[in-house]
Amino acid sequence: MWALPALPAAGFVFLLLTSQFLPRKGDYVAIGLMLAAFVLVLITGKNVADAIGDRSLSLADCFNVGGCPLAGSERSWDWFSVPGYIDIRIGTYVDQITLVMLFCVTFVGLMVMIYSTGYLRGDRRYGWFYAIVSLFIASMLTLVIADNLLLLYGAWELVGLCSMLLIGYYNDRQSAAEAAKKAFVTTRVGDVGLLIGIIILFVQTHTFNIQQILAMAEAGEIPREWLTASAVLIFAGACGKSAQFPLHVWLPDAMEGPTPVSALIHAATMVVAGVYLVARMLPLMEVVRGMPELITGIGLATTILAALIGLAQRDIKRVVAYSTLNSLGLMMVALGSGAVGAAMLYLFAHAFFKALLFLSAGSVIHATEEQDVDRLGGLWSKLPITGPVFVVGALAMAGLIPLSGYWAKDEILVGLRHGHLTPIVLAATVISLPITALYMARVVMLTFFGAPKDAHVFEHAHESPPSMTLPTVLLAVLAIVSGFVVFEGVGEALGFHSGWMGFVYNLAEGPEEFSVDWTLSLLSVVLVGLGLAGGYWIWHGDAAPARRAAAFSPAGYRLLLNRFYIDEAYQWAIDHVVLAAGQVVAVFDRAIVNDTGVQGTGETTSFFGWLGKYSQTGRLPNYALAIVVGIAVIVIVAFGYRG
Amino acid sequence: MTQVFFDIMAATIIGGALGVVLIRNVVHAALFLIMSLMGVAGVYILLSVEFLALVQVLIYGGAVAVLIIFALMLTRVGELKQKLDGDQRPLAAVAALTLLGAFATVMYKTTWPRDPGQLTVVPFDTIGTALFNRWAVPFEVASGVLLVALVGAVVLAMQEEGER
Amino acid sequence: MEVVSQEIPLEHFVMLSMVLFSIGVYGVLARRNAVLILMSVELMLNAVSINLVAFAVYTAPSLFVGIIFAIFVITIAAAEVGLALAVVLRVFRNRGTSNVDEVNALKW
Repeated sequence: MWALPALPAAGFVFLLLTSQFLPRKGDYVAIGLMLAAFVLVLITGKNVADAIGDRSLSLADCFNVGGCPLAGSERSWDWFSVPGYIDIRIGTYVDQITLVMLFCVTFVGLMVMIYSTGYLRGDRRYGWFYAIVSLFIASMLTLVIADNLLLLYGAWELVGLCSMLLIGYYNDRQSAAEAAKKAFVTTRVGDVGLLIGIIILFVQTHTFNIQQILAMAEAGEIPREWLTASAVLIFAGACGKSAQFPLHVWLPDAMEGPTPVSALIHAATMVVAGVYLVARMLPLMEVVRGMPELITGIGLATTILAALIGLAQRDIKRVVAYSTLNSLGLMMVALGSGAVGAAMLYLFAHAFFKALLFLSAGSVIHATEEQDVDRLGGLWSKLPITGPVFVVGALAMAGLIPLSGYWAKDEILVGLRHGHLTPIVLAATVISLPITALYMARVVMLTFFGAPKDAHVFEHAHESPPSMTLPTVLLAVLAIVSGFVVFEGVGEALGFHSGWMGFVYNLAEGPEEFSVDWTLSLLSVVLVGLGLAGGYWIWHGDAAPARRAAAFSPAGYRLLLNRFYIDEAYQWAIDHVVLAAGQVVAVFDRAIVNDTGVQGTGETTSFFGWLGKYSQTGRLPNYALAIVVGIAVIVIVAFGYRG
Repeated sequence: MTQVFFDIMAATIIGGALGVVLIRNVVHAALFLIMSLMGVAGVYILLSVEFLALVQVLIYGGAVAVLIIFALMLTRVGELKQKLDGDQRPLAAVAALTLLGAFATVMYKTTWPRDPGQLTVVPFDTIGTALFNRWAVPFEVASGVLLVALVGAVVLAMQEEGER
Repeated sequence: MEVVSQEIPLEHFVMLSMVLFSIGVYGVLARRNAVLILMSVELMLNAVSINLVAFAVYTAPSLFVGIIFAIFVITIAAAEVGLALAVVLRVFRNRGTSNVDEVNALKW
């Protein structure tokens, strides 16, 4: 199991050192290692399926120690220990959630690497790109198989680092550097919370091992205040990484990075690390009163906010970024109600169609050198492959039946309905469906249909090379079919003993039967259809209804266009609060620590030295007097002591 | 009777010492030193160590005193008028008196061991034998010291070339 | 013969020695001529000798360690005086003065 992250890690080190000298800067090394990792994941999955099938083991047994010949389903080694006090072990822990993540990470990683050979061909930092992406994959894999929080946190930080490095890929652009900094700092806020939460848990339980901590939490061995605090803090970390409101501001700016980076990190893998963390720690979260409500609330806020903002954005990548935020919020909502199976299904499907959307958007950018939808249009005829696959991605995102997005969203709605939270959550989520459909339809219409708005751009548009179109097609296929794994028949055909819902589930509740809730399904189909139709109507042709809507409420339009001015608010807070505090500290450091403490002690010593030199008069009698006085003192003291 | 003798000797010693430290004329101070040292010799006789008294007179009175007077001559104390007493006088008096006070306190507070038996006067030959038997090594070392001092004094006081 | 120890108490001798020593100390500290300082040092050494001999005679006459010690003290004192005066002579030749206040080259 350790071979899994070790392969791309080795790739990272190797490429960092040698990519300059290899032909094609060694991209095939990275791709080869990635392929090997993907194959390993497939083998692991097959092992699981076989084990379930052959021995009729229950699924829980299969993932437990010793029950199943999985390569290290749970194994640990001593890391460091203080005898009698703490004993920290490091190891791997693999369960269903992990398996899903592994598949997504390796497959999308592979697709992105292949795509990049076309997108970034000839770029100055080509070799470095593959090295850092390899490092990222290695960290991500480590993160999902980690069995203790310390290792997870280390991988978490590494992943954040890679994200920052890759966002700032175009290091000759100021905006890219700013975006990278913003990404890192914003996620940092969450990361600090995560670290403190981990430490609190360690102090309370004396272990970092996740399973042990969860067991202790469920058994009620952790005091309530600390439990609540750590749960909130860990969730804060997840919010940072998964760009939930109010820490969502870095994700749209992260689009400064190259499109493959956006596809891999900011759609399919890293941003779902937060979702993974919450899913992993869900037993702990559910024990805390009010936590599920918090998770759901923030998820809901994120979803709706993102959907509304996405309606007004002009950069094609930003629209997709906001759709990512939309999806992440949805996943958090699902987790808040304990619907782990639904959330992971959505994560699974989302990885494919979101990566698809990004990569095909990248194709559009590559084709036209332009990102603003107000300058695109009518590209359907010019981009025979990219056009259709993008539409597939958009429809999957919107949740059109029978694409994967539909099944995932449906399961989420079912989970919400059976959950313990108020029906308002379900209602709000249902309402967000048509909005999502609306903005996805908008971007499709504005980009591919209607009259081209910039003739020059239109003339030069050309289809992308196969290295770029092939991955998108593969992803499109998956975006279409991956939803069908909910069916028992499909699951059994793949070797598992049931469909998705019987495989990935909330461990506290048990596997679920897949069933169709006809009311909800019908409702969602209708709403999505309405949304798509509405989008078509508003934005087809010359989008006259859209202009009327914008003119109807210019203030509202501006609000959406400027992302509710959240970024500006943050900047103000930073300028007036953080930097001001920094000034105070700087003055303190200079005046007190340096001038008084460091300089001061030195100067005081010098002063006393200067003062002392006057005792060296050079005259014999003075010295003799000193000697005599000394003797007298000694005699008096000695006698005083004894007598 | 003995007490009277002791008092006379003590007076000589103290008087001479005071003369050394207080007199303005340096040569007179040297003479007072000789007086004081002879008094010490008398005290030694009182203590029945005649050998020491002899040694005292010979060395101090004969050699050291002469040496001092020679040094006074060579440093021209008569011709060059120089200040004899420094500014440290009050402090010096205080220090000396403090020391005296401390010693006195110590002495009076401590009980000293007394030899209960009869005082035996140590004869000459015993001292001599002891010097060459038990105390032979310090004796030789003392000779070495004298040799070194002799050579050193000669070296130091030699006239270098070109000096006046 | 008379036994000294029964007539004059030990304290008298020790007191004498201490007074002599203190006067010597005063002389060393107060006088400015180098030779005068040496004379004061002589006084101090004599005081020490008196002390040693008095204690030897009064407390442990059979050992007469104090007497031997006093002999050596006198010897060393003599050597020291010779040497010290040679130094004074040299200093006088170099500096033209035997006033210790004026020989202060080691001043800060």
